[in-house]
Amino acid sequence: MKTRLLTGFLSLLMPALVLAGEYDLTVDRVNIDTGDFVKEGIGYNGKSPGPVMRFKEGENVKINVTNNLDEMTSIHWHGLILPFDQDGVPGISYPGIKPGETFTYEFPIQQAGTYWFHSHSGFQEPDGAFGAIVIEPEGREPFRYDRDYVVQLTDKHPHSGDRIMRNLKMMPDYYNREQQTVGEFFSDAAENGLMNTLQDRMAWGDMRMMKADVEDVQGFTGMINGMGPDQNWTGLFEPGERIRLRFINSSAMTYFDVRIPGLDMTVVQADGNNVQPVNVDEFRIGVAETYDVIVRPKDAQAYTIFAESMGRSGYARATLAPEEGMEAAVPQLREPARLTMADMGAMHGMDHGSMDMSGAQDMSEMDHSTMQGMDHSGMDQGSMTMSEKGPSDPFYAKGSGIVPTAANGGKFLSYADLKAQDPLYEDREPTREIELSLTGNMERYTWSINGVKYEDADPIRLQYGERVRFKFVNTTMMTHPMHLHGMWSILDAGAGEWNPVKHTISVAPGTTVYMETEVDAPGQWAFHCHLSYHAAAGMFRKVIVEGGPDATQSKAAVATEEGGDA
Amino acid sequence: MNASKLLVVAAAMSMSATAFAAGAHGGGHGASSGEPGKASEAGRTITVEMYDNYYEPETIEVKPGETVRFVVENKGNLVHEFNIGTPAMHENHQKEMKMMVEHGVIQGGKLNKQMMDMDMGNGHSMKHDDPNSVLLEPGQSQELVWKFTGKGSIEFACNVPGHYQAGMYGDVNFK
Repeated sequence: MKTRLLTGFLSLLMPALVLAGEYDLTVDRVNIDTGDFVKEGIGYNGKSPGPVMRFKEGENVKINVTNNLDEMTSIHWHGLILPFDQDGVPGISYPGIKPGETFTYEFPIQQAGTYWFHSHSGFQEPDGAFGAIVIEPEGREPFRYDRDYVVQLTDKHPHSGDRIMRNLKMMPDYYNREQQTVGEFFSDAAENGLMNTLQDRMAWGDMRMMKADVEDVQGFTGMINGMGPDQNWTGLFEPGERIRLRFINSSAMTYFDVRIPGLDMTVVQADGNNVQPVNVDEFRIGVAETYDVIVRPKDAQAYTIFAESMGRSGYARATLAPEEGMEAAVPQLREPARLTMADMGAMHGMDHGSMDMSGAQDMSEMDHSTMQGMDHSGMDQGSMTMSEKGPSDPFYAKGSGIVPTAANGGKFLSYADLKAQDPLYEDREPTREIELSLTGNMERYTWSINGVKYEDADPIRLQYGERVRFKFVNTTMMTHPMHLHGMWSILDAGAGEWNPVKHTISVAPGTTVYMETEVDAPGQWAFHCHLSYHAAAGMFRKVIVEGGPDATQSKAAVATEEGGDA
Repeated sequence: MNASKLLVVAAAMSMSATAFAAGAHGGGHGASSGEPGKASEAGRTITVEMYDNYYEPETIEVKPGETVRFVVENKGNLVHEFNIGTPAMHENHQKEMKMMVEHGVIQGGKLNKQMMDMDMGNGHSMKHDDPNSVLLEPGQSQELVWKFTGKGSIEFACNVPGHYQAGMYGDVNFK
């Protein structure tokens, strides 16, 4: 992949050695075999996932991307800080890459850590067009490990992305296998009383949501590094070694709860940025997020990496072992989590103007005391460690049905545990706040921001040099991983100057989450929910950064002229 | 400087049993990391710098029976520990350190001294005064004199939760 190092002649003349690497990627039609089914998809250099691109901080990279498809393509370098015209979003950064053409990306690598890359065209990414990026830091890492592995997750579906989107538009619950049944209605009625159950169902109907909408695209096979559960990707180790696992969630739609029974995990990095180490038993990885963990298996035995989908409709599985072919027990999927009325929490007292909220009145008249009784209906009581009030996490609505708990009763990572190891930016007061309501109508499969979908929306205009506080108010029943391109998202985790820096901020139903952005990258950028079908349905914005160095302004004008789909 | 001198004295006098007791439970390799040394017997000084989250140097070489004067400097932005012990001792001590974080004694870059002195009942406190260890805020430095009595599997480690696991330890190699 790395064809040549152009470090020779020029660098001899320069005071500092500048590393320059040239890389080639082809975008190809490939077959993807999950072990459950084989289907055609899109990959890089003949495979999905594509190669692990290994860069070095301080290097200038040149990446030649050749489009062997019969349609337009693009590559977005997810989480990398780079000039906006190298960011790879058709219609925002550039027009895209035509069939048969080669586009050469050139940008300096200004950061270190675990990232990934993927197509930003149509549904090529759900169809397999993604790969991993590993950047070695200039200095030493603030932790030690003997070997490292990329663990790239995806939710491979037998249907193509286009077909899934068509089906969702026709019938939003097409892929929702966990809908409540008539039988469940009667068992709920027996437990909670007929009237309470009726009111509950009616309220949900009025919300244009279904109670089991934890995952709206089910029926996938979870994969790790291109291998399904039975194909069992295996990472080798010598007992006593520290292993760095670089988890990347490249799923179209699926959050995973990840654990390795028998091993403690120490989280040392989130979204490419080092965090103060946190020991956990399990963590939830949102779509597009990355977490790096260090594990230290002391015994010469196999360990299962088990990644259950948040809605428990599927799982990915891999193995760490001293030798190929060894396996450990694969846990059973836990009971599906069910959303509760609490997951609608933020709808009270909000500006309902933009939403279809005909049911809000009925809801506020409900007897809230009955909700307490319902909260646990879908939960695995055995896995609960907390009191009868249920587990809590400040990043989930109080009484939410999807608060994660560790399968072994131990520690589950929360956003509240994430603290920057070495804060990237000085803490300062934001210059202004922008409120973004995450909105949607499940019955029509429309997803939007402030009730307006991308094609009808004005761009968000930011001024170079300001620090903007974004207020995400999730008015929907789904969890949205919000991804701002080009600039860091400083998550307000309540840690002040130690707040972690991320590229993707997950916002759970019924919650309000804040992030701040130092507007330090001129040009125009994409800002969207990273669930593929939500982004495509319109939960997407263009962000324009005004001001800053002059040269970029004229480039922005050129990039927009050609247009195209984002 | 006065404060740190006092701490050294306090540490040397207290001789808390926990470090040794933990070692006895740990088993393996005789499970002894040595004993507090006399400054007058220290043949040399090793400066250990603590960063976020690693040591410089990461290995030291000693002779069995040698007494070493360590000067430990916290050059990071977080609270760090320098603790000499066997892996099993460190594992046990990590539970105590976890409690210190949960009680707010260790908060990122700060130590809550008042809370460390608090009587937790049954004669327990979170003083962290074991003679095989120093716990420092950013910018602080402190001495520790240690006699390495025998060969064994000994590491110096920071047991602030997560730090050891992430690799903040160093090896003591016997010549």
